[in-house]
Amino acid sequence: MDFTHDTIVAISKSWGLFYLIGFSICVIVYTFLPSNRKRFESAEREIFDKEDGPWK
Amino acid sequence: MTDTPHRKLERSATGFMLAIVAAASVGGIVEIAPLFTIDNTVENVEDMRLYTPLELAGRDIYVREGCYACHSQMIRTLRDDVERYGPYSLAVESKYDHPMLWGSKRTGPDLARIGGKYSDFWHVAHLSNPRDVVPESNMPSYRWLATTPLKLGNLPLMLQAQRAVGVPYTDDMIANASADARGQAVPDSDQSAGVSERYGAATQISAFDGVATNITEMDALVAYLQVLGQLTKAAYESTAAPEQMPNPNN
Amino acid sequence: MGQLTSGERDLAGLVLVFMAVIGIAMAAMGGMEPLGIHGVMVLLCSVGLLFVLMSSAFGPAPDPARLSKYYDDPIKVGVGFTLAWAIFGMFIGVWAAAQLAWPSLNFDTSWASFGRIRPAHTSGVIFGFGGNALITTSYHVVQRTSRARLADQFSPWFVLLGFNLFCLIAVSGYFLGVTQSKEYAEAEWYADIWLVVVWVAYFVLYVRTLARRKEPHIYVANWYYMAFILVVAILHIVNNLAVPISFTQAKSYTIWAGVQDSMVQWWYGHNAVAFFLTAGFLAMLYYYLPKRAERPIFSYRLSILSFWGITFFYMWAGSHHLHYTALPHWVQNLGMTFSVMLLVPSWASAGNALLTLNGAWHKVRDDATLRFIMMAAFFYGLSTFEGSFLAIRPVNSLSHYTDWTVGHVHAGALGWVAMITFGSLYTLVPSIWKRQRMYSATLVEVHFWLALVGTLIYVFAMWNSGIIQGLMWRTYSEDNALVYSFVDTLVAMYPYYIARAFGGLLFLIGAVVASYNVWMTVRSPSPAPSPAGDDLPIGEHSATVPSAAE
Repeated sequence: MDFTHDTIVAISKSWGLFYLIGFSICVIVYTFLPSNRKRFESAEREIFDKEDGPWK
Repeated sequence: MTDTPHRKLERSATGFMLAIVAAASVGGIVEIAPLFTIDNTVENVEDMRLYTPLELAGRDIYVREGCYACHSQMIRTLRDDVERYGPYSLAVESKYDHPMLWGSKRTGPDLARIGGKYSDFWHVAHLSNPRDVVPESNMPSYRWLATTPLKLGNLPLMLQAQRAVGVPYTDDMIANASADARGQAVPDSDQSAGVSERYGAATQISAFDGVATNITEMDALVAYLQVLGQLTKAAYESTAAPEQMPNPNN
Repeated sequence: MGQLTSGERDLAGLVLVFMAVIGIAMAAMGGMEPLGIHGVMVLLCSVGLLFVLMSSAFGPAPDPARLSKYYDDPIKVGVGFTLAWAIFGMFIGVWAAAQLAWPSLNFDTSWASFGRIRPAHTSGVIFGFGGNALITTSYHVVQRTSRARLADQFSPWFVLLGFNLFCLIAVSGYFLGVTQSKEYAEAEWYADIWLVVVWVAYFVLYVRTLARRKEPHIYVANWYYMAFILVVAILHIVNNLAVPISFTQAKSYTIWAGVQDSMVQWWYGHNAVAFFLTAGFLAMLYYYLPKRAERPIFSYRLSILSFWGITFFYMWAGSHHLHYTALPHWVQNLGMTFSVMLLVPSWASAGNALLTLNGAWHKVRDDATLRFIMMAAFFYGLSTFEGSFLAIRPVNSLSHYTDWTVGHVHAGALGWVAMITFGSLYTLVPSIWKRQRMYSATLVEVHFWLALVGTLIYVFAMWNSGIIQGLMWRTYSEDNALVYSFVDTLVAMYPYYIARAFGGLLFLIGAVVASYNVWMTVRSPSPAPSPAGDDLPIGEHSATVPSAAE
């Protein structure tokens, strides 16, 4: 296949779009996965826990 | 507690880092990769010439003094830009520019086509004290350039480094770099003929700062300013109207 | 440095001797050229640090009990660096602004001309002030949120001091005319190589510390710090690829040319804003805002979504700096599209911050520190909206090359970056030095109003001047001729340039007030340890540490 400027531009334009959509779906699934709920809720509060030194 | 792939990804910071890199790099790759083949689409301009050693030294002074912080070298495809400064800039005109000096702020006017607009004498007077020529100007004065000798010894190294990054300087040009700088700033000297021979008959040979006996940084900077927009005539031959944008498909 | 083990002292000594040798080599090769001067500076810094190290090198081995505490000595020194660079960088900024109104203020010297001090201002505030603030707070946040001590005691110093050496070499170089002219990446090749070394050490330190964490989950602030460290490394390396004209000279030529270089430079330039000036400072927001307000973040999930949104979208936006130029049209459009889309994650972050404060507005009213953070979130929302707006092609045709861009950048830099930094510092300083509060709440209040009024004067002056100049450039008479010469439009700028310098001056005074307040907080006597369970106490042992560290 001949790699001209147009080929590369075409790949950029199509592949970039698919990547964007795929990536967004992954992030949304990760964020709203029910099994992650607990972890995020505890993370939200953990910075208020006693922090006077590293845990052993 | 089950280990989902997500949890694993986050548990080991490595996967998380890879995800950041994957997300972050794609935009840059998509936009930058096609620019490497852009030379295929920029029409081959035959009259495009290289900077002479003196002009290149002047360009380096332009960089050193941060002129790009207040002056752009990029005429946009807008009507008022074109009517104020001249035909809009083409990609080919900066193809030998390492780095490009398109600029981002016009505290002073655009300089992409300043070459030939004013006399050498005007430039020297203006650089020595801008307010002598333009009373309202807020540009710093650069009078010390006229008393600072240009370091000719560096010129072969500079041309060599330029060739290393892709500018087609020949062995002949590199070997004669210092002589060509002298020849360009001292008209009618033995070395002047070589400059026109190597860089083209249109190359301006002049005692830029008015003093032909020594070669100063002022000579170099004025030589550079006078060649801006003069490396090729391609922009003047382009027939597209100013409001019309470059071809959106390339 | 009193806590360094004997192995770490040996390593530090070895590194410093090696640096001194490099300094001598640079000085010998460079002679009286800038490279030689930088060689002498490297030599002096290494020898000076070697003396500091030697003074404690033969002291007793550190107390093993230190491992049960956080390692805060580098943070204390980092606070000092942050404030010193803030005053230096902002002073140069006010000076540069004044030169635009009164051009004789460079006193006819080369080193003080506008073109040379402008990069000294931008690097001084972005890398000196911003970079030190990021490194300092990241050391603080990563330890607290991971419940783990920094991985070792050598690399935090190496990163902090090495980074400041980079800033020193870069900024002193600009005065000498050493620059590669790439905006926000002006430093020459040898400084760039050194920054890569420092950055790799920073990255390794951060990952090793995270790996020691006792919390299963990596808190979201650390995500932003990680993105900042990683992506800045990529940007820095790609943008700064260059060929020096000789290894004994400072000058180099970038490998990129013309249109490629323009895209690489603004891909770097815009993402330096994204990952240096946004991601890292959002990390501060996500830690210090909930801590100060004593309320959990409004939505943790929203912070995750906006993290990936920002990481993904920003990288495409750089080409909006090149509208209507010789860059291919489709790349310009892509940049515009993603810039507008960026508004979603940006406003999600700003909204998340402001909604966190919902219900705690009485605290915002009473506590100037929290008000700094609140204002920062507000200005973050404002300048991201403005950024998306200015990225739209027709708007950009008016705003580009004018002061509007400068005003936009400073709404972000003063209103967002500096305000979140000061808010974080006012939270961090009492906690690190074990004080109940800052030395003077009144001075924090004074600083807040100086900063806010200074920012508003600055930004309004630049909005006005930018829009006026943009409109004047494109004003046509009835017979289709341009009405104003360039000089006409410059004359119209002078009142705004004076106003801008005044606004900047107020902001600078605020930074001086902050430094005095921090200094007095550190100097004030340490209170008796408060009861266990409080956030602050570590006990008497650590109170003796600062003297050893400084």
